[in-house]
Amino acid sequence: MVKTPPFLQPGDIIGIVCPAGYMNIEKAQTCIDTLQQWGYGVRLGKTLGSDSQNYFSGTDEERLADFQQMLDDDEIKAILCARGGYGVGRIIDSIDFKKFKKNPKWIIGYSDITILHAHIFSNYDIASLHSPMASAFNDGGNENEFILSLKNALEGQKIKYQCAPHEFNRRGEAIGELVGGNLSLLTNLTSTSSDIKTKGKILFVEDVGEYLYNIDRMFYHLKRAGKMHRLAGLIVGGFTDNKDTERPFGETAYEIIRDIVKEFKYPVCFGFPVSHEKENYALKVGVGYKLKVSKTKVTLEE
Amino acid sequence: MNRKNFFTSIFGAGALIATPVFGMKGEKYDQPSLIPPYLKEGDTIGITCPAGNITLKEIQPAMEQLESWGYKVRIGNTVGKKDFTFGGTDSECDSDFQQMLDDPSIKAILCARGGYGSIRILDELDFNSFRKNPKWIIGFSDITFIHCHVNRNFGIASIHSKMCNSFPTDWSEAEPIQVESILSIKKALSGEAMKYSVVADVSNRSGTATGILVGGNLKTIETLAGTKSDLLTPGKILFVEDTGEYLYSIDRMFWNLKRTGKLDKLAALVVGGFKIKPDDPGEEFGKTIEEIVWEKVKDYNYPVCFGFPVGHQKENFALKHGVPHRLEINSTGVELHEQ
Repeated sequence: MVKTPPFLQPGDIIGIVCPAGYMNIEKAQTCIDTLQQWGYGVRLGKTLGSDSQNYFSGTDEERLADFQQMLDDDEIKAILCARGGYGVGRIIDSIDFKKFKKNPKWIIGYSDITILHAHIFSNYDIASLHSPMASAFNDGGNENEFILSLKNALEGQKIKYQCAPHEFNRRGEAIGELVGGNLSLLTNLTSTSSDIKTKGKILFVEDVGEYLYNIDRMFYHLKRAGKMHRLAGLIVGGFTDNKDTERPFGETAYEIIRDIVKEFKYPVCFGFPVSHEKENYALKVGVGYKLKVSKTKVTLEE
Repeated sequence: MNRKNFFTSIFGAGALIATPVFGMKGEKYDQPSLIPPYLKEGDTIGITCPAGNITLKEIQPAMEQLESWGYKVRIGNTVGKKDFTFGGTDSECDSDFQQMLDDPSIKAILCARGGYGSIRILDELDFNSFRKNPKWIIGFSDITFIHCHVNRNFGIASIHSKMCNSFPTDWSEAEPIQVESILSIKKALSGEAMKYSVVADVSNRSGTATGILVGGNLKTIETLAGTKSDLLTPGKILFVEDTGEYLYSIDRMFWNLKRTGKLDKLAALVVGGFKIKPDDPGEEFGKTIEEIVWEKVKDYNYPVCFGFPVGHQKENFALKHGVPHRLEINSTGVELHEQ
């Protein structure tokens, strides 16, 4: 049974760190303000708005130390990763989860943060929060339903998400623990100590900026690694800003996925609001959900 | 069948070379190295497209060259076919390759080009006839899928080399290095022991290693992780190359190698060409290929060399995948010799 970290109470402190790419404080300001308006305290890690001059928010050691401190500090009740990018895979094996195992807290983010979600659930059976990050609060985002879904999730509300049907959907009902995240990272984790098990699970996937042939290759990878066969259900999120080669691939991302799963029977929905775009609901990785794909709509509820 | 006949029948199919056997995590044990028969004059080479498409005109230079070497050429049905990026539909690519595998008069299969697609037909291919009568499969890049699959599952050697799309149209104009790369395919096919000397690189780690040579395209090797085609690397000399990837992505792939345990018990690591996609402005990764690799192998002692002439470049020499080699790296240079 998955362990769910305690939900947040007014006055609880959320730590903000950058375990991967660099982000300046200005870009995270609306996020900080909004979390405070929601009634939480905010602690900024050293890696947010650091003086790093390269891609990363700090050296591996700096990013590790910042994350580790937030993980071990009892006052911090949740860790919001300000952005993804690339870098968690470089420190994941150096993070000490001993204290976290005893006192789980919410780890929040998506994209590169998929590594943390997968690692924590696979190794410690602890739930975490796949959700929008700091920059999604900007430009009025802090008032949209996707950011509000993060607030609701942190407060412990059980929400029922609903989205429009898609012509490729395969109808049915599935019950299972939710696993997944960014497709590139799920494939990159295959066979490592952070790899996810998908049997009987509801898998959700999304990606951004990938070549269509590479999306195809990644799904073949998952399939050949046995990760697509015994799913309870599949949730296909956004596959946005896809690229194509000079010789066109000839299929859209959704057509690729439809072909990959056509031999299986489980329910599949396309266009679920989990993506690198604004449409990105907070999802509790590791928690049991019920997915219902019908002719008129798709619902996902805890 | 008595013991003597048993060995005769194996040697009839190809030479069986005894090599150390390693197991990983209780998984299937490593296969001994099985060498397909080398080609003789008059033997037939089949050309097929398991991945990207190619026209008949584009394979002309390769055909002429193979014929000048004394081989016959059989052109597969997928040459000249086109299904978007592919050399035909999956079933066309599959049946063309299958026919080449099963036809005893074809002694080697040259993949016309890489691109993308081999993984889509790999599990559909029936290797039963090929296992009994191994033949050389030739190519690189996307063809790494096939090299790794036949190595992991059957221990059958194959040739990692340039393909039809890299044969120069005009030999008199071709650069010597390109000519040499192409001629190395003939050497490999005709049974010459491969021998390469490469200049020293300041980032190399000296040492001597012997082991079966495996590897190929790094992204492809990552894509095979956790599948039945996944490489077993303990005791092996692993070579890797890639093209068109961002540095961060190359870093992430090397982490995959490391985190799947593939770098732990190598005999040696050979880093080939990496054609890097430049970082986007403001997203500078800040580490070189050498630094990326060193981070991953600093805890081990095996020899490592950089800039080996294998990859998406003119100097891409034929390597016998799945065959024992000896690698010697010292301050003056690198020697890779087939054993």
